[in-house]
Amino acid sequence: MLRRGCRVSAGLFRAPRIAPGLRSSTDALVSRFCPEKTDLKDYALPNASWCPDMLSLYQEFLEKTNSRSWIKLPSFKSNRDHIQGLKLPSGLVAATDKGDWRIFTRCIPVAGQGYEYVIFFHPAEKKSVCLFQPGPYLEGAPGFAHGGSLAAMMDETFSKTAYLAGEGLFTLSLNIRFKNLIPVGSLAVLNVQVEKIEDQKLYMSCVAQSRDQQTVFAKSSGVFLQLQLEESSQ
Amino acid sequence: MARDTTKHRPVYKTDLRDGGRPRPKSLEAVGLLCASARELLGSESNPGTLLSDGKRSFASENVVNRDHALPNPSWNKDLRLLFDQFMRKCEAGSWKRLPSNNHSPQSFQDFQTRFVDPKLPKEQISQARLFTRSFEDGLGFEYVMFCNDAEKRVVCFFQAGPYLQGAPGFTHGGAIATMIDATTGMCAFRAGGVVMTANLNINYKRPIPLCSVVVMKSQIDKVEGRKVFVSCNVRSVDEETLYSEATSLFIKLDPNKKLA
Repeated sequence: MLRRGCRVSAGLFRAPRIAPGLRSSTDALVSRFCPEKTDLKDYALPNASWCPDMLSLYQEFLEKTNSRSWIKLPSFKSNRDHIQGLKLPSGLVAATDKGDWRIFTRCIPVAGQGYEYVIFFHPAEKKSVCLFQPGPYLEGAPGFAHGGSLAAMMDETFSKTAYLAGEGLFTLSLNIRFKNLIPVGSLAVLNVQVEKIEDQKLYMSCVAQSRDQQTVFAKSSGVFLQLQLEESSQ
Repeated sequence: MARDTTKHRPVYKTDLRDGGRPRPKSLEAVGLLCASARELLGSESNPGTLLSDGKRSFASENVVNRDHALPNPSWNKDLRLLFDQFMRKCEAGSWKRLPSNNHSPQSFQDFQTRFVDPKLPKEQISQARLFTRSFEDGLGFEYVMFCNDAEKRVVCFFQAGPYLQGAPGFTHGGAIATMIDATTGMCAFRAGGVVMTANLNINYKRPIPLCSVVVMKSQIDKVEGRKVFVSCNVRSVDEETLYSEATSLFIKLDPNKKLA
């Protein structure tokens, strides 16, 4: 029987302010987020389903990671794996996590069927690039990716960027303007930029377009809430 | 030739999953029609399998035609209660349950010939699935939509499964966005025909615990030429908690213009 509901404090979005000086630096967050050694499977790696555009752009960014200006983010099956040793602030503990719970953007495990994506983060300029290839199980209008799948990819890229740039944790708002449909199996490049951090909120913008930038698929803005994770007792 | 009179009455397999509850009259009617159609077509040699909703399934149509907007074992108590409550409203007349299979509401042929290059490769077509129906029972999106065409409303009862996680223990913002897009899109489609999402604007007030049920209520705010404005709110079953609010804009597609 699934436990319903959770204890969510009434003041969820009025969490105590943390003085800027006590926040973890981006470098500290990045190094904790990108473990040097792990047994966890990293889904953000090329596989046979990646189209040629995605493969070549991936290689381009991979070369840029040598100078450490860009970081390739790992992508594990669950966000719990990303925050090992940490937990959500008390007052936000939800129902017990079952072993088979998965992050939405890794929900369809068969290569090429669902979300194929990799995110590169630029710590100094607080920006990210996500290479996204939607598979046939993400369909909306016949032959094209569901608007919701792009919304989710934007939310996910915002989420990782917000976390590393300033401990952003929860989506407060998403505003998406769709321009053109993304054909299933083709590459969409999402460019995310942190615009400002103010009042415990991170403001970001995103443009999703084709590799040659000739087609804009959508533009969006997202606002995330800053909340510090706590050390877990285990 | 002596006729086997038992064939006149469809025999329903005892569906233990359904708790053996009596089925609504409309489904029995469908079952009866199918049984008599089979007799007329003389296919006693290959009667197929009778599904829980009364329709017979044959291997080729099984996957495509299954109606997902019906209770299955993964549905929790809240979702079943809401479903029953609205099925009673359907009998009263103003509400209608919307069936939901693996493909988008508009027929593929229609969409292809009107809006897209008809030479799209067929392999791609046969593999494809509507995103919100791409999961095994209970793992992803479990939902059912009811519409009230007179009032231009669509209500969606949504249970987020374990593969829709965002922050640990909570539903991913993108999964919520997908359901809001689907619900407001259905509302716009019922009112204005084939539409495409232009804008989606969502305010998240409280995080939604994973595996809980929420009620999404959408309505048409106004229609201006080809623009259809829809709003939606997402609340807990007891309506005490407002999880999110959204406004969206859809554009009615022009059959004279190709999309891609």
